[in-house]
Amino acid sequence: MKRQLPLAIIFTMGVFTLVTNFIPPAADLNQMFRNWYMGIITFFTFLGTINLARLNAERVKDRTSDWYYSVILLVALATQLFLGFYKWSPDALREGSPFMYVYFNLQFPLESTMYSLLAFFMTSASFRAFRARNTEALVLLLAAVVVMLGRVPIGSSIWHGFPDVTEWIMSYPNLAAKRGIMIGIDLGLISMSLRMILGIERSYMQ
Amino acid sequence: MSALDKISNLDRRIIFLGVALAVIIPQFILVRLPVDVSEPVQKVYDLIETLQPGSVVMISIDYDPSGAPELYPAMLAVMRQCFARNLRVVAIGMWATGVPLGQRALNAVAVAEFKKEYGKDFVNFGFRPGGAVMLVNLGRNIHDVCRQDAYGTPVDDLPIMKDVRSAKDISFVITFSMGDPGSDQWIQYYHARYRGNLATAQTAIGAPKYYQYLQTGQLIGLIGGMKGAAEYERLMKRPDLATKGMGSQSIAHLLIIVLIAIGNVLYWIEKRKK
Amino acid sequence: MYMTTGIWPWLAAALTLAIYSFLYKDNPFYKIAEYIFVGLSAGYWASYMFWNYAKPNLFDPLLAPQSGSAPNYWNIIPIILGFMMFTQLFRQTSWMVRFPITFVLGVALGLQIIATVEGELIPQLAGTFTPFLRANFAQLSFWPAFGNVVLLVGVITALTYFYFSMEHRGAFGVSAKIGVYFLMISFGASFGYTVMARISLLIGRVQFLFGDWLHIIK
Repeated sequence: MKRQLPLAIIFTMGVFTLVTNFIPPAADLNQMFRNWYMGIITFFTFLGTINLARLNAERVKDRTSDWYYSVILLVALATQLFLGFYKWSPDALREGSPFMYVYFNLQFPLESTMYSLLAFFMTSASFRAFRARNTEALVLLLAAVVVMLGRVPIGSSIWHGFPDVTEWIMSYPNLAAKRGIMIGIDLGLISMSLRMILGIERSYMQ
Repeated sequence: MSALDKISNLDRRIIFLGVALAVIIPQFILVRLPVDVSEPVQKVYDLIETLQPGSVVMISIDYDPSGAPELYPAMLAVMRQCFARNLRVVAIGMWATGVPLGQRALNAVAVAEFKKEYGKDFVNFGFRPGGAVMLVNLGRNIHDVCRQDAYGTPVDDLPIMKDVRSAKDISFVITFSMGDPGSDQWIQYYHARYRGNLATAQTAIGAPKYYQYLQTGQLIGLIGGMKGAAEYERLMKRPDLATKGMGSQSIAHLLIIVLIAIGNVLYWIEKRKK
Repeated sequence: MYMTTGIWPWLAAALTLAIYSFLYKDNPFYKIAEYIFVGLSAGYWASYMFWNYAKPNLFDPLLAPQSGSAPNYWNIIPIILGFMMFTQLFRQTSWMVRFPITFVLGVALGLQIIATVEGELIPQLAGTFTPFLRANFAQLSFWPAFGNVVLLVGVITALTYFYFSMEHRGAFGVSAKIGVYFLMISFGASFGYTVMARISLLIGRVQFLFGDWLHIIK
């Protein structure tokens, strides 16, 4: 029951969704199942939040290394949850609310800045590791340089042809390679999806 | 240690400082280099120009703060064009952390600049979970997916939504996207079923992939990265955040090219010695 | 020049600089900022999920339907399946999480097969086989025709590179080798765009620090 029933569910829902795509009268039923999907998905987030809180609470309880950072995390989590629910109304999430002040002035700068660190590391890595060791690497390097110059205004000031060459590279050789990769991925996706629906692939049940 | 060895083993913090200066200094020295408009961006602009006043444009906010420097300026520029042409805008988001940015853009453009009325000229349905699956339902029955807007107002109480029920009633969809769920899902799940005009503004990381959809016609146009946003600002004749960033972008790119060149020269000298 | 006096931009700037302090070396300020970010994000997503979807679309139609509408009793099923997700927190009942997961996977996979074929595979294959020459020779243009040749050759050779069931020898090997060059051009282009993206993020933060916080730049 613990294995057979879930396999039956994935098979039934997978085949149903596939087959009813071609049967218009089943569209309403299909729509309902998709609505259920969206509802269940929200619980994934709730579970993730609870797991995060539980993990960090255990670290605080066991006084593992750097446990005090977990205290900070739990305080931040509790604060944002409090601000999101204290009014018991979606108005708590309106522009101008304390929840949004925290989002725009704490969460927003933290997230943007964290990703912007990559600009520095990428430059340093390019200097140390980007080497034209063979013909293939040279081709990669040349393409990168042309695109980097073609996608900024100074490139067209250096040579007016850079933007056009860049567009040509993006529209033909780049497109061709990306399409080749995409077709391979698509074929793999279809086969993996069928394997999961048919119960051959069961890694999600661990 | 020879000079070449010193350069090879340059402390990375010096490189970090160089990058920082390459970005900061141009912000003070306002040099406006001409921004060429590329064909994929021009196509988005041209399409919106053909839409009749009152047509409905759906904007999908599928990014978070890490995509904001590239996509927020593009969103402002596109919204300006839409409201200048008296198009009706329906906003929706598949990324919860991007929806407030969309609302901020709507407040800045629709309300402050064009004095448009919420509920009549534009609406924000906020975040909708479910990604691709949600899009399939959305195209079939918008009212079923968007039962109320981001402020709790029932969809039936919104005048703008009276005649907007499904994909047939939407003239143009543009997604501001940086990953999954995003433009891929709009193309595969929405456009494949319901067709219509679809364009995307992408962060520069994702943009190269979408040229293949441009070529097949699945996408009408593509606004790629901050440069794409700057091109759109040029088309709107309204230089803003993206245009201001182009000087820094140019110098930073030159710096990286020079560093790569130096690294390769050092590599080949080292190789020759051996 | 004037500095902003409100506390919020100062907090934002302090957190921004705390993250950037990592560039010098790892330090407690960076770690504190990191953990604050994770905590805030988790709280944010949970609040948004509840108010934007779970309550209006899942719970309200069942428990507090709009006046004139009957309760939607079908919503009991996704609510039960959703609460089953929490059984993962307890070892004895964690097997029950398979039910909502398999339901969700079944719906998504069935749709994915259709979308991949209809929305991607067929259009992309069709787009690859474009005419090299149009019937009207008066409108013959070299570059588009050449580009379509490049496109076809590039897609086929890139695909042959990824076909590992056959040894890359002879004509097949040559095709795979050409495919490698197309892939290198594509990766180079992607690298160029990635550089652009990352620098753009940095520009955004610089515009905030020197514009919104210090008001040195407009």
